[in-house]
Amino acid sequence: MLILVTGGAASGKSVHAERLLCEAAPRGERLYVAAMQPFGEAAQRRIARHRELRKGKGFETAERYTGLAQFIPPRRFEGILLECLSNLLANEMFSPDGAGEAAAGAVMDGVSALEAHCGTLVAVTNEIFLDGVAYPEETARYIRALAEVNRALAGRADAVYESVCGILCQIKG
Amino acid sequence: MTVLIVGGAYQGKAAFAKKQYPELPLVCNLHQKVRETLETGGDPQALLPELLGKAVTCDEIGCGVVPIEPFEERWREETGRLCCALAARADAVYRVWACIPQKIK
Repeated sequence: MLILVTGGAASGKSVHAERLLCEAAPRGERLYVAAMQPFGEAAQRRIARHRELRKGKGFETAERYTGLAQFIPPRRFEGILLECLSNLLANEMFSPDGAGEAAAGAVMDGVSALEAHCGTLVAVTNEIFLDGVAYPEETARYIRALAEVNRALAGRADAVYESVCGILCQIKG
Repeated sequence: MTVLIVGGAYQGKAAFAKKQYPELPLVCNLHQKVRETLETGGDPQALLPELLGKAVTCDEIGCGVVPIEPFEERWREETGRLCCALAARADAVYRVWACIPQKIK
């Protein structure tokens, strides 16, 4: 089972994604796969916040910044929470050890690989498509690639949600 | 009664607020208030109490590419968090797209 959770910045995505995963994995065998690299003050603040949210909810944590398709979890989990596809894609596109041109495919292969190791995968992605700004080609390429990932995963997901001001709106399923 | 109305810029949020909730004081463009508060060194989350009992409109500024400039990123974060807090306290939350309101709470 694949559940996709999207939303803009600070829209409450993480809280809902965690809750959805806890509901889908009530026995508590839960893995959190973190894709955000702890670079910069804003990233560290966000990571600390996510850690605080997960505290006491029985999550094991794995950090994986690139090559998710090659990642083998220590065992099979009832539920895995992947946060988030936008970071994973940026790492694949722009890190020296990333997949470069093949970034979108690497992210989608990574999602498929994780699904094979759990009953329910909740993947968090990001709404970055609405500001109407004409970005330089490198950024535009990233936006197109994330849209491609979102379209493909939303197409085959069992449920898709958007968090709006902390309110969960179901858009598929 | 507290109402939050979000959506993109120029989508008819304020017009909807005036039509639907004429009795409520109207606060437009909460995202700009958040920005002004940050610019003067204040805490935007402290704006919450004064928004209760009003109809509040806010642009959904968090749905674009993460800005490189830290202040711009902070502005999006603070606006998003304040909207989450206000939505939790609000009696109704709407999203307006091209003058079409969708009640999400």
